Amino acid sequence: MNELKIEDLTCYRGENLVLKDLNTKLKSGETLVIRGSNGSGKTTLLRALSNFIKSYNGTIFFNDKNVLEDTNYRLSFNFVGQKNSLKDNLSVKNNLKLWEIIYQKNISYSKILEDFNMSHLVERDVGSLSDGQKKCISLLRLNFTESKIWYLDEPFVFLDEENSQILIQKIKNFNTNNGIVIITSNINLQNTFTNEIKI
Amino acid sequence: MLALLKRDLYLALYSSSSFFYTSSFFVLVLIILPFLFGTNNVQLQVLFKGIIWIGLSLSILLTMERIFNADYEDGNLDIIIQRYPSLETIIISKYITHWLVYCLPLFIILPILSFLFYVSLDNFFLIFLNLFFGSLGMVFIVTFVSALTLGAKRTIFLKAIIVIPLFVPFLIFGTNLESWPILLALSMMSFVLSIYVSAYGLRLYVE
Repeated sequence: MNELKIEDLTCYRGENLVLKDLNTKLKSGETLVIRGSNGSGKTTLLRALSNFIKSYNGTIFFNDKNVLEDTNYRLSFNFVGQKNSLKDNLSVKNNLKLWEIIYQKNISYSKILEDFNMSHLVERDVGSLSDGQKKCISLLRLNFTESKIWYLDEPFVFLDEENSQILIQKIKNFNTNNGIVIITSNINLQNTFTNEIKI
Repeated sequence: MLALLKRDLYLALYSSSSFFYTSSFFVLVLIILPFLFGTNNVQLQVLFKGIIWIGLSLSILLTMERIFNADYEDGNLDIIIQRYPSLETIIISKYITHWLVYCLPLFIILPILSFLFYVSLDNFFLIFLNLFFGSLGMVFIVTFVSALTLGAKRTIFLKAIIVIPLFVPFLIFGTNLESWPILLALSMMSFVLSIYVSAYGLRLYVE
């Protein structure tokens, strides 16, 4: 059983206060949707949770350990940000190969692309794909690690109805396997995920 | 670190033109010389010693955007920093791959160019040593400038203004064939400065 706890989190970007006294707790199998207007601090929160931002007030605990002091924490989560982490001048296959090297995990390209029904794109240059297709491929990074938490920054942007449903199903499957998911979103997902906070 | 090196070398291999950019630019700069100054052997030898440094400086300067900026802009830097928390490891792997991809091709074509410019064998080895140590120092310098200016878009002129004065000591000593120990010392000093400043630049980006 894993537990992520945020206590009195206050965060500044430059001199601007973007998060103030945020408290929440998530257990294995739960998904939290963070909603808020542009510039409200959703991405900042995810970057603080992912240990990219380290200068904040308050504490983030994962399994009762302060994430700033836990050296193994970085291997516990997978962060998919708004940038796709794809090289436009390379094919989908070569991009997956680069991730394979970074994550040090061998995968089957055609099998992994089946997640979003994109096996036919394996040899295509990423630059020739639509934004939605790029987003789907960037979300495939979730398959590269055996993480306990997923941090997804605006994952539904550019996705069509079919791929949004596939992603929702992936998240629910991850929850079933005791994974914790935190999603930032501008769209209303209350019908799908009931646990929501507004910042 | 090996995984990072492998990843960057694969990336260079996949975009195979990377290997040819600097060497073709270097050759073009040198080819212009005889058109400007004639084909007098002695004059060409003297000019060669200087112009190779200008070629090397420009080649390294023009490729500095590829050290961190490309990975920053597409989001890969986040993945790299998450997977490899030691910034120093990331920086050292960038030094190695940048030198291998953008400087090594210059050293491969250097013997042919030296032959074309009537450089004697003794002088060739000294030029080679100078360029080797100088290119290492120059890579250290562009790496930290690249890390410090991460996220600043369309600032190649600003970067050039910062980098070129820092290249001047290498150019001054580089044209003197006996001064490879000074270039080695300059490169070592650049390394010490670069590793700290680059890590600081990356930390600023992460925050």
